[in-house]
Amino acid sequence: MDRNEILNTVNNVFIDVLDDDNLVLSEATTANDVEEWDSLNHIQLVVAIERQFKIRFASQEILSWQNVGEMVDSIAEKLNQ
Amino acid sequence: MEHPVNYIYNKIAELNPMHGKKLKKNIAFFDDRYYELADTFFEKYTGILKAQNKNLDYAIDCYLQLIADVNAETIEFLRSGKYSSTTFEEVNQRVYARPEIMEYYMHGLIMSQFLWKHHYQIVDFFISKLPSYKGETKNYLEIGAGHGFYLSKALEILDDKTCFTVVDISETSIALAKDFIKDDRVEFNLQNIYDYNSDKKFDFITLGEVLEHVENPLQLLAKVNDLLSEDGVLFLTTPTNAPAIDHIYLFESADFIRDVIHVAGFKIEKEVDLLTEDVSPERAAKLKIATLYGAFVKKDKAAYL
Repeated sequence: MDRNEILNTVNNVFIDVLDDDNLVLSEATTANDVEEWDSLNHIQLVVAIERQFKIRFASQEILSWQNVGEMVDSIAEKLNQ
Repeated sequence: MEHPVNYIYNKIAELNPMHGKKLKKNIAFFDDRYYELADTFFEKYTGILKAQNKNLDYAIDCYLQLIADVNAETIEFLRSGKYSSTTFEEVNQRVYARPEIMEYYMHGLIMSQFLWKHHYQIVDFFISKLPSYKGETKNYLEIGAGHGFYLSKALEILDDKTCFTVVDISETSIALAKDFIKDDRVEFNLQNIYDYNSDKKFDFITLGEVLEHVENPLQLLAKVNDLLSEDGVLFLTTPTNAPAIDHIYLFESADFIRDVIHVAGFKIEKEVDLLTEDVSPERAAKLKIATLYGAFVKKDKAAYL
């Protein structure tokens, strides 16, 4: 799965969890850019992404992402292991 | 004068922007009555902190540690569908027997009383309905008084001649409630409720957010039923799907709580089931978002026929 495919899949998870069909993510998107991306939804997103990609994040990773691109980095790293 | 809660909200937004964003949604909801109650509460609390050489910034740090714990527990809960601890002994070793954890946990919980919308709504439900039980309440008991806020409201609302009793297993809680209340009408008992016996029956019992901390809620409700007078009232609250470091009994729905209440021999008089987030009940169920259930219940005499 290449980065674009990962980003598209992540975008779909965000749409489902945040209940916003118009949401378009880029690698530079941060929580500041998305109104509904708060601390509770962050957790919902993390677990929904884990389920979608059948991966498991470490606690430190969950807190470290500065933007969607870094989230994609973590996913790509796990898928390539 | 600036409301203390505004200072708290701004400070949290600075230290933890993602959580600040979530709390900001609450502000739009709060009315004058909220600010009146919250101002009095934080004025008292700031005084208590000051006497311990602490300040609101310290309490905010404690609250954010609690949030980090709740977030970590929520991830595990959403992954597994279970709370991470299931026995009293586990949480005793992990939380209650560790003063360094109890210290930030208690302060964090105090802060949540007026930072979480559902905590305010449930206390508002209590305050608005309690006056209708004033005439019949001669003996009031609170099990697990926490920081004593419900008790302080009961002291204000109920008759001057009412006898007030607290039974709490935690020394930290009792010390805090005593600081908050400073009223010699209250008899405090540092005791496990299962070991507590009384010659008198109570006309009103408050059991706020206790059932999720015990292994067997039915057993606790049976004990409460025994302590309650024939026409007495029990006010209870407990959350569904609310992972926390010391929650061990998982109620998956309000219906399940209602079933437990009925099986314990009570009938529900008034109830609320408050969503902890601004989402539809359908989405809350889908995403397993916590609700806080509260009810005034009485003995179901038909259950004994």
